[in-house]
This record gives sequence, structure tokens and C-alpha cells, in this order.
Amino acid sequence: MGLIPGVGVIKKETMLNVKHSSLPYVLVLPSLLFLAFIIVYPLGFSLYYSFQMWNLQISPVPLGPVGFMNYRTAISDPTFVHSLINTLKLSAAATAIQFVFGLSIALLLSENLKGGNVARALLIMPTAMAPMVAGFIFRYLYYPDGLIPYFLSLVRIPIPKEGILGNASTALWGITLTDVWEWTPFFAIILLAGIKSIPVEIIEAAQVDGASFFATFWHIILPNLRFVALIIIMIRFMQIFNLFDIIYAETMGGPGTSTRTLSYNLYYRGLVEYNIGYSSAIAWIMIIIMVIIINVFLFLSFKGEEL
Amino acid sequence: MARRSLPTRILLYALLVIVICIFMIPIVWTALLSVRPTITNRTLPPTLIFKPTLRHFYYCFANPGLSSHWLIASLVIASAATGLSLPFSLLAAYSFSRFKFSGRKFLMFWYLSLFLGPPIVFLIPYVLMMSRIGLVGKYPSIVIVYQTFTIPFSILVIKSFFDEIPVALEEAAMVDGASRIGAILRVVIPLSLPGIIVASMFAFVFSWNNSIFPLVLSSRSTKPLPVGTLNFFATTGITWNYIAATSLVTMLPPMLIFLVLGRYIVRGLTFGAIK
Repeated sequence: MGLIPGVGVIKKETMLNVKHSSLPYVLVLPSLLFLAFIIVYPLGFSLYYSFQMWNLQISPVPLGPVGFMNYRTAISDPTFVHSLINTLKLSAAATAIQFVFGLSIALLLSENLKGGNVARALLIMPTAMAPMVAGFIFRYLYYPDGLIPYFLSLVRIPIPKEGILGNASTALWGITLTDVWEWTPFFAIILLAGIKSIPVEIIEAAQVDGASFFATFWHIILPNLRFVALIIIMIRFMQIFNLFDIIYAETMGGPGTSTRTLSYNLYYRGLVEYNIGYSSAIAWIMIIIMVIIINVFLFLSFKGEEL
Repeated sequence: MARRSLPTRILLYALLVIVICIFMIPIVWTALLSVRPTITNRTLPPTLIFKPTLRHFYYCFANPGLSSHWLIASLVIASAATGLSLPFSLLAAYSFSRFKFSGRKFLMFWYLSLFLGPPIVFLIPYVLMMSRIGLVGKYPSIVIVYQTFTIPFSILVIKSFFDEIPVALEEAAMVDGASRIGAILRVVIPLSLPGIIVASMFAFVFSWNNSIFPLVLSSRSTKPLPVGTLNFFATTGITWNYIAATSLVTMLPPMLIFLVLGRYIVRGLTFGAIK
């Protein structure tokens, strides 16, 4: 089991200690320079633009420095604040639901039922598809005369007459459910691999000692899954934090601005309204938020552990 | 796990069937929609029995065949993005796997955060940069920006496969007179070929599934499938049968690749962290 994505538990005999050689850097350099050219260079421009007044609809070139005005506009813009809250709600809710459902399904699959392998292969199919396509599928299923309202009406759950995605108070839940459907199998399959890697003897010993299913789960399975769980929760939280495709396919941020997330809001300000200065400021606020979140996750995952 | 009593086992099987249904019904429903006569689209309760038609596939992929153009663009973009990332990632993966050097942890973390960071953040300045050199709407602008996820991903996954090859094998080859490059080409690459293939398959799937970059960067002739499908929303009266037919073709290749990948899925989706 690895310690950090990609780093893994490093066995000494697979590493060469070359403190004074330039070879390791020479090998990393091509990808580093290439990515710097695609990412760091544009981001540098974006930082510069964030202190400029520049709307492409008004002028083809920046109209001059405005200090922190773009940043102040963002913080006092209700749409921006709203999109930040939406993003946090969506990331927290969708990640938590996926984790709980995924863990339950992983426990079910760990029972070694007949057909378990087929079930596992079928189960991962939603995760394989493009999020945009998942968005198309659910947009269709959410229509007032679609399959999901039909099933909900069978169990007497009322749905808004303008459809789940047409109502400002339910649309974000529609987005959440689509992401949960697509990615719960991801949690299930990976947590299952985590459960299977726990030595059978430990679980059997607990059961011989008379531990109930719940006690085994709470005292043995869950602590052993801690590391795997933190890694995939981090991956998914970040991916949902950046969610764009499903929103574009289902609601375009609407109705009104009720399903705008940070990503969608940034896209809208920059590439629909062409306000380059303002959108660059939003981009940099997003980067700062991301750096904080990634560091919190890393602190939680790796505190006390040697990388 | 322990033996369960018969009623418990029946309950567990029932749960398994329910779970499979929840995750498969939307996909099956889309497949049905793609062969449904349009008149049965919106009936309540839903129509389950109808005479299937291939008319929608014919419209999408033969005449006028818009979706077949998008299919070609998808294939070109995903293959080129995967191919371009390989030489870069092989070099860096080898370095991270074999050498302990200062800055190693920081660099690996930098690649990881690229993969987890929000693509939209650098998309806008990237578009401005590409439009300045006249590449917006052309394949290179899309293939190049895909490297922001294909390279970091492939580095981390290929590295996890390199880690499994004992360094002694390489050293043995070098003692026998091979150069380091020779040892890499004759020992490391062949032994980690499965890993390189796994990483490439994932890179292909991620490239195939991406839609945020081509949404902004592609033109009429370079639109991949998910972005092209949006065209069917623009026409009067959303043509759901065409959307379903095109969506089905969009989701099949990644699904087939996931079936082939089998037990490697866990490793790929966690960037080599969990084996």
C-alpha cells in the first residue's frame, strides 16, 4: 500500500543515491519545461491581467492598472460568493455521500458472493464515461416526464413541476446526484481493494473472539482503510471542487445563477462576458483556496508519517 | 468473511441486484433511447416494448453524419495526446523511481497538484496565448493543453511500475557492459511494458472524456464527441434520440478499456498510490 500517490513505499534497493549528479534533473527537465510553458507562463499573464482593467468586449488590449479593484469586486460580488458556497456545498455533500455509499457497496462486494466479479466489472461502468455524457443522460432522466420523477412519484416523493433541474432549490441536488451516480463505484472499487488487502487472519481472529459484524467493521476494517480513504476523498473532493462538465451539460449554471460553481462562474466571466481582468482575479482567488485545501488534506493524511 | 446464514445471504444477493440496477439503468435507458422510435420517448409510464430502429445511428454517423466527424476528432485528439505524453513521462518517471535527489518530493508534489488543480484557472490565459499564435480551433492547441493531465498522470503511474523492478537487474546489465541507456532499453522498459500500456490506456480515456478544453479550443472541424453532441441541443426541439446514439458511441470505448484493464483500474484511478 502506497503512502503518497505515485510515491509509494520506497524500498531502499530500488533507489540510487546520486546527490551530486545532474542526471535526475536532466530527465525531469523536458516535462517540467513543457508544463511550465503551458501552465506557469499563462498563469503569470493571468496574475498580471488580474491587476488590469480589461474587458475584451470593450478593448482588445488592457486599459491600464487598477490595483486590487478586480479582487475587491470579486469579494463583494454576490454571484461570486454564492458560487463559492455552492462549490463547498457540492464538494462536501457529494464526497460524503459517495464515500458512505461506496463503503457500503465495498463491504457488500467483500462478502465473496457468486457473480461478484461480474458485478464489480458492471459497477465501474459509470465511472468510465465522460462526465459530460453523464450530464446528458441525467438531464434526460430528470425531465418532469422522465424516469427519475416517475420513480419518485411511485414512492410519493413530490418533485417541482418545472423539473428537478428547473427549480432553483433542487437543481444543485440534481447535479450532486449525477456526480454521486458516476463516482460512487470509484469509491466502492477502491475501498474494496483496501478491504481485501487487510490480512484475513486479523478479521477471522476478531470473529473467533466473538466480535460482531459492526465491531469488526469499526475496530478493524475502518482503521485499516484510513489511508486509502483519505487519498480517494482528497482526489474526489478536488475533482468535484473543479466540477464543470456536468453543470455545463445539465443547467449551464441555472436556473438564474443557482448552480454556478467557482469553475462555471470563472468560465462565464472570462469566456462568455470576456472580462479578462476580473476573471483573472477570480482565477487567482481560486488558486489560493485550492492551495489551502490541498495543504489541509496533506496535513490530515501525512501528519506524523515520513513521506 | 464469515459464513452467513441463508436469510442473510438472500438479503445480500437482493442488495447486490438493487445496487447493479441503480448503476446500470441510466446506461441501459440511454441505449434504449438510441434505438427507440421518437414517438415512444416521453410516454408515462415509460414504454418498454417497441420495435427498435437504427434510424438515429444512421442519421448521426452516415447521413448527414455529423457525429462521425466528431468521432474522428475524438480519436485524433486522444491518440495524439497519449502519444505525446509518453516520451516526457517515461524520462521523468524513471528519474523519480530510481534517483534520490533534493527537490524530488517537491517536484512530485507539483505534478500531483497539477493533476488535481482546476483546469479552468489556466484555460483563459492559455486561450489568449493560443489565439495570439493562431492555434485556436486547431488540433495542436487541444493536444498540447491535454498534456497538463496526461503527463503528470503517466509519470505517477509509470513510476509506480518502475518501482517494482529491482535495481539489481539494471546493475547486472551494466556490469555486463551495457550503458545506462542500454540497461533501460533492454531491462527496464520491457519489464514495465504492462505498466506503460496501462498508463497509456488511462491517458487515452481521460483525453477521450475531457470536454472543458475542446469546448473552448475546438472549431467545427476539430470538435470531439462530447462537445459535438451539444449541437443537438441547439436545434429546435432537443433531439434526444441523436444525443443518446452519439452518447452511446462516446461511452463505449472507455467502458471497453475499463473491462480490459480489470484489476489495474484501482492503480490507475489512484495514480499508482494503491495497488
